[in-house]
Amino acid sequence: MSSVEAPKLAAGVVITHEDIDRAHDRERVVAARARGGIFSRLRLLWLLVGPGILVMLGENDGPSMLSYAATGSRFGIGFFIPFVVLTFFMALIVQEMTVRLGSATHRGHAELIFDRFGPFWGWFSMIDLGIGNFLTLITEFIAIRAGLGFFGVPPWAAVLSALVVLFLALVTHRYWTWERITLAAALFNLVFVPVALLAGPDWRSVSHAVTTWMPLPGGLTKDTLLILLADIGATVTPWMLFFQQSATVDKGLTKRDVRFGRIDTALGAALAATAAVATILATAPLFAHHMSADNFQAAEFAQALQPLIGRFGASLFALGIVEAGMVASITISTSSAYAFGEVAHRPHSLNLPLRQGKSFYLVLFLCAAAAAAIVLIPGLPLVYAVLVVNVIAVLAMPPALLFLFMLANDREIMGDLVTPPLVNVLATAVVIFLTLAGILFGISVIAPNVFAFIGGK
Amino acid sequence: MAANNQINGSTVSPDQKLVLSALELDQLAARKKQPIPRRQLRGYEKLALWSLRIYVFFMIIVVIYQVLAGAK
Repeated sequence: MSSVEAPKLAAGVVITHEDIDRAHDRERVVAARARGGIFSRLRLLWLLVGPGILVMLGENDGPSMLSYAATGSRFGIGFFIPFVVLTFFMALIVQEMTVRLGSATHRGHAELIFDRFGPFWGWFSMIDLGIGNFLTLITEFIAIRAGLGFFGVPPWAAVLSALVVLFLALVTHRYWTWERITLAAALFNLVFVPVALLAGPDWRSVSHAVTTWMPLPGGLTKDTLLILLADIGATVTPWMLFFQQSATVDKGLTKRDVRFGRIDTALGAALAATAAVATILATAPLFAHHMSADNFQAAEFAQALQPLIGRFGASLFALGIVEAGMVASITISTSSAYAFGEVAHRPHSLNLPLRQGKSFYLVLFLCAAAAAAIVLIPGLPLVYAVLVVNVIAVLAMPPALLFLFMLANDREIMGDLVTPPLVNVLATAVVIFLTLAGILFGISVIAPNVFAFIGGK
Repeated sequence: MAANNQINGSTVSPDQKLVLSALELDQLAARKKQPIPRRQLRGYEKLALWSLRIYVFFMIIVVIYQVLAGAK
């Protein structure tokens, strides 16, 4: 590495350590692109994937996996299998916009909102993201604690080991290394696939569910509608937009890489949908055995599944919940740190040495450490915290989606990467659908009986 | 380390040369400190943002209600 920290060139360009690290990554991309041939294309894909897979598998976080598990145990194999796949397709449409935004502008999402729409909306988005992320982080540590609890690990040891893993990923001071470590951990999300296979799903029922979207046990009741609204509204959460755009910028993707960014996001959506469907299939036997699991935590799911899939399968399930909480705690705390740096105009990159990126790393680690500490407070209403997180996440999405949509259609900053008309039709439909679902869910919180005419409790 | 070269009359190290060849100018950390100009909003965009303000007000009430109701 150069001993020169920030030399000023004649053209007035200042080079930093962050730039040098990013240039090394880009040099490999340029070399792979220049060679041509199938192996070079595959190498190019290997070099350019990352943010999309991380964001999608990160969204399969602790509470999400528990929610899929609860869905499987409550509704069995049926409507929710294709429905979950549809939600990931919607997430793909939305997240693709962040790839284009990051590649075209080389700016993070928070920064673009601040610059283009002014400080009010900039700080609003930042505070909104900060509160939502912090509360979500608490739920991730709840999942880690509960998952490791299955193996008899005391809560303090579970939380501490999660913080150590997060810290170890950071001390590499290199985006590329951090990304690969986190990707390796994220792919462990697929551990729910062998758990599903151990549960021995009825593949004819699965095929029937995919083709007919049936059955939906109990029909469409008020309770089912609320679950649907919450699921649709939570398809994309604000941290996902901020994280993927900032990670795209930190990775150094350019307009030429957008196609691979799209493949990365689609790959992430496919992997995440696979893990989600596998979780529903894994807990479907609980539905068949009429076991109520609405308020189960990770350890309780694993314990309930143990007689059906054995100790090994139950252990894999518990480990999967730990992984989901771990990866999400890394990505979510990183998205907070990126957004803070962008809005406060402080250095913000995983390529920064600790000394140069003090505020970035401090925000990242303190967010995680504070959330972890809260989980250890005895008698804390953790289930209540999860509920508030869900409400905030769903209600915070409409503003985030509106800004995303306006930015992706902003020709001044997007140039020829502005959303094409056909994609815009699809994106508009998804944004309106997600926004309405969020608003309806919000109304149902204020007036719980508003959907009583549909039936249900 | 290879010998330094000249760019625009200045001596640059191989690392600096690498950065200038591998990154677009807008990707440099120093360039990213320059803010992007504020967007000139059209009528319907102003309307959308005012609707958003009303929504945010609604959202804050919902969240406060949820927090208070849950705390009881």
